[in-house]
Amino acid sequence: MSTNLGKWTPEEIRSLIDEENGKIDPRVYTDQDLYELELERVFGRSWLLLGHESHVPKAGDYLTTYMGEDPVVMVRQRNGSIKVFHNQCRHRGMKICRADCGNAKAFTCTYHGWAYNTAGDLVNVPFEEEAFSGFKKEDWGPLQARVEIYKGLVFANWDPEAPDLLTYLSDATPYMDTMLDRSEAGTEAIGVMQKWVIDCNWKFAAEQFASDMYHALSSHLAAVVAGLPADKDLSSYEPHMKGHQFRSKWGGHGCGFYIDAARGSHRIGPIVDKYYSEGPAFEKAKERLTPLLPYDRMATSHMTIFPNCSFLPYGMNTVRTWHPKGPNQIEVWAFVVVDKDAPQEIKDELARQNVRTFSASGVFEQDDGENWVEVQSALRGYKSRTAPLAMQMGLNLEGKNNPDFPGKTSYVFSEEAARGFYSHWARMMSEPSWDTLKPQS
Amino acid sequence: MGYIETPILKLGVVAYTYEGSDAIRFWIKTRGVKGMEIMELIKPFKWAESSSSLELQHEIEQFYYKEAQLLDHSQFEAWFELMEEDIHYWMPIRMNRVGREVSQEYAAQGKGSHYDDNYETMRGRIRARVSGVNWAENPVSRTRHLISNVMIKELEEPNTYEVASSFIVYRNRSERQSDIFPGERRDVLRRSEGGLGFKIARRTILIDQSTILSNNLSVFF
Repeated sequence: MSTNLGKWTPEEIRSLIDEENGKIDPRVYTDQDLYELELERVFGRSWLLLGHESHVPKAGDYLTTYMGEDPVVMVRQRNGSIKVFHNQCRHRGMKICRADCGNAKAFTCTYHGWAYNTAGDLVNVPFEEEAFSGFKKEDWGPLQARVEIYKGLVFANWDPEAPDLLTYLSDATPYMDTMLDRSEAGTEAIGVMQKWVIDCNWKFAAEQFASDMYHALSSHLAAVVAGLPADKDLSSYEPHMKGHQFRSKWGGHGCGFYIDAARGSHRIGPIVDKYYSEGPAFEKAKERLTPLLPYDRMATSHMTIFPNCSFLPYGMNTVRTWHPKGPNQIEVWAFVVVDKDAPQEIKDELARQNVRTFSASGVFEQDDGENWVEVQSALRGYKSRTAPLAMQMGLNLEGKNNPDFPGKTSYVFSEEAARGFYSHWARMMSEPSWDTLKPQS
Repeated sequence: MGYIETPILKLGVVAYTYEGSDAIRFWIKTRGVKGMEIMELIKPFKWAESSSSLELQHEIEQFYYKEAQLLDHSQFEAWFELMEEDIHYWMPIRMNRVGREVSQEYAAQGKGSHYDDNYETMRGRIRARVSGVNWAENPVSRTRHLISNVMIKELEEPNTYEVASSFIVYRNRSERQSDIFPGERRDVLRRSEGGLGFKIARRTILIDQSTILSNNLSVFF
């Protein structure tokens, strides 16, 4: 692997994250050299969420997206598999496909007319016979990424040395399954990507979904008001206090969830809440998932798969990739999943509740956007970038692990998963080889 | 908690009781507008065969200017009173599609949107907005709603109008945040007694952005 360390030594990178004392160096959110290194060492080597397999149901269906800042095309093949290749013609670097999604028999670069089949093979070069000698088309197809699917979610990875997806997901899969494996029918995505721009570092968003139930009590009061019955106000709102946070044993993944009540009717509306909390679909989910975890005790939940895939199980069901656009900006690309065998009225209602809650206009999401922008703005300051930020919640707090739930758990209001997220980030940034980085069995 | 289909209300209403509350809330399904399918509102506005009367044109433009003033002066509850109970407030996602697929530029209803609200969920949004804890709009933004290109067509249903208009919504926020949201509104208006003379039964917002170029859409259109 090439090195792109800029001014940072591996020791300096490791010192940015002080897990033992719960301190984080704010330059991880602002430094251009660190960002360039992230593109290489984090986004160039991690399994990245691109979409749901139901986004491309038929042969030739495609969507264009990004891996880090590299544009890619995700295409359904005739044999049913999905390919992901660099959305860049290797002649003069033009984007091969400039639509968001659609169905294609081939992709033709509009610059000079080089044409690719849906597998990404270069199949036609105009005037090849007249103008080229000894040109090998098979050597000049776009770069191909590895593709693996976890229960409907399509992930891709540029690095041939990276562990397979299941190894990469480590012990986080039971928590993913609370959204993705409630039914043998699996899930489907409803509709297309919602996209919007937030001027913040990608790690704020990813970390929050990994590790921050805490912020909801302050940030999202208005969203609570929006969902309260007409005859109730905030004075009747009592935040739920019971729950846990999960930190994966490897890989920087994290999840938090309430247990024993705190159902989500004010978050997702009573119809979706009922579907996710009682009745036949819930009973089926409980039966399928109970061998993994006490599903019926869990409620509102948040999760991040490192680095930039986040989602909210238990009926909110937004799934998103936080695409980095420089150290100071992201694009949120979000979609909704639902049990494939859910009744149509549940799918319709869930889609509407998703837009109401978690979308650019969502009553939850709009306040997140405000927070992250203001944090990033403050980080322009010298003092802001040199004074460490506190990441100490749950540190040295014993006795919060709940053995009823799989993996390492702590209290629901904790930064244990954040410490896991940033520790793994520091390892990926400072360890160039998978020999040391991969999970040691 | 549960919900039941109820025959007691005319509009095709689902009533449900809320967990921990005796209150019954009403989930109002969209009531039809005669001669109008919602997906029609993403297709190009069909001009009326003859121009609307000067008086009607004036009335509806004045209604829009007053509506804009309510929004630009944070009179959100008064603005909400302009909504009919069967309101469908919808901003479909708009995509980059190749020319031969341009008819699929807008996501179909339920297949991806930035707003997809009925009366009840809009009421929730308004409550949140005036709660004082909607931090995305507290401190408050400065907005300007400019409405133009108003074209009116009378619908089959009496006193009901399909209206297309162009808008530019400018938001200036905090110290330097500046957002411009241009687009087209496709409304169905019904003449009303009192108030501002009309109520909004449908509002489809065709925004001229694919990726929303802002950190949120905490503004109304």
